[in-house]
Amino acid sequence: MSTTRTILICSGKGGVGKTTTTANLGIALARSGASTVVLDADFGLRNLDLLLGLENRIVYTAQEVLAESCRLEQALVKHKQEPNLALLPAGNPRMLEWLTPKDMQAIVALLEEQFDYVLIDCPAGIEDGFKNAAAAAREALVITTPEVAAVRDADRVIGLLNTQGISPVQLVLNRVRPKMMSSQEMLSVDDVTDILALPLLGLVFEDEQVIVSTNRGEPLTLSDGNSPAARAYSNIAGRLQGEEIPLLDPAKMRRGLRAKMRELMQTKIF
Amino acid sequence: MTLHLPNQRSQHWKDALPGLLNQESSAPVELDCGEWSLNCSDWQQLLQLLNTMGRQLRWIRSRNPLTVVSAAALGLDAHLEGNCEPTAAGSDEPDGLLIHQGTLRSGDHLQCDGDVLIYGDVNPGARVSAGGDVMVWGRLRGIAHAGCHGSTTARIVALHLRPVQLRISTAVARGPEDQPLDGLTEQARLDQGAIVIEPAETRRFR
Repeated sequence: MSTTRTILICSGKGGVGKTTTTANLGIALARSGASTVVLDADFGLRNLDLLLGLENRIVYTAQEVLAESCRLEQALVKHKQEPNLALLPAGNPRMLEWLTPKDMQAIVALLEEQFDYVLIDCPAGIEDGFKNAAAAAREALVITTPEVAAVRDADRVIGLLNTQGISPVQLVLNRVRPKMMSSQEMLSVDDVTDILALPLLGLVFEDEQVIVSTNRGEPLTLSDGNSPAARAYSNIAGRLQGEEIPLLDPAKMRRGLRAKMRELMQTKIF
Repeated sequence: MTLHLPNQRSQHWKDALPGLLNQESSAPVELDCGEWSLNCSDWQQLLQLLNTMGRQLRWIRSRNPLTVVSAAALGLDAHLEGNCEPTAAGSDEPDGLLIHQGTLRSGDHLQCDGDVLIYGDVNPGARVSAGGDVMVWGRLRGIAHAGCHGSTTARIVALHLRPVQLRISTAVARGPEDQPLDGLTEQARLDQGAIVIEPAETRRFR
């Protein structure tokens, strides 16, 4: 039971990919055989259920579990294609008025009895919602994008996580555009890790498939599709479980078909 | 009455503290931390321990500057005991130097009345203000304010001076737009009311 890993997925800034990462990591971990639960701690603006395509199966929520008007098993929604994954949906936004860190710890303690991985999808911001979510976590993944504002907010969040004694805190760099990075229009990987000084768990490249999959409610890692983001999320799940998978280098990613053609044209064959 | 944490070699404070607390009445606790080096998460655990036993902390005393800094950062009433002051040699200000170990992250604000030495970076969005000099053994990329009580001789020194803004006494300056060379330790000081940046002087401080 004590081997359960309770991981907070947070970022500070909104829209950098916390929920997408939670959904994809959840599926990837479950596919590797670990029993996994994703907990939507974003009570105000919940949408983890949408991304997982489970919205229409929700009957009870964390709210009823806390009020003891249902059992935990009744509230947990099993994923239709990936039975190792369960979702504990967020309740009514009115919960924000009375929810305390103790309540979150109580919910997570219940989940830790049953699962190997508990992923907590943290709300944006650093107010009560964040504090509640962080109170129950042991480790954290900080998601950021290579933008100044996202990095600044991530830095603030890391400071808060450190005072809460959460460790290890690892970094996921999302929505990386190798082309813009190599032309120095975007912060580089080194720029980001320089400021945040955290171990980099993974890079996720900007990928249109992410938008398609979130709208459909089928996380990318669900299929064996070979889109760059799907591979990145599977790699992150692998590294979380202790596998040694080398990080992709955005500088090398850039070498698309055209670059290879040009190289071929320039090589002197005769 | 004051509680004394045990010597580091004899027993860990986490084991000793519940016993110490049980001996005493329910008055607010006055804690002498001795040589213990306690960081912020240690303090949080300690405060939680006190909380569960229904006790409050009135003030703490320590001979370790790091303990005092982390306690002060959490808003505790912390006092440094003199006998192992690391920089006291030749200085006529007994409580002159505050040492902060670790990076100041966005949103942090470190304040002190004397000089401050930071072992770590000051990230964008973080602030340091000191009554005396600000020294950063790392990269200064946030806002630094030296001589915040009005001292015009205060300086700001960093291994890597890339601030958003510098303030000395009442003068304010934006950080340099063009990035200076790497590996050059620089200092900022007041010259006729304006802040100038130059290579750091190698002579001793003060």
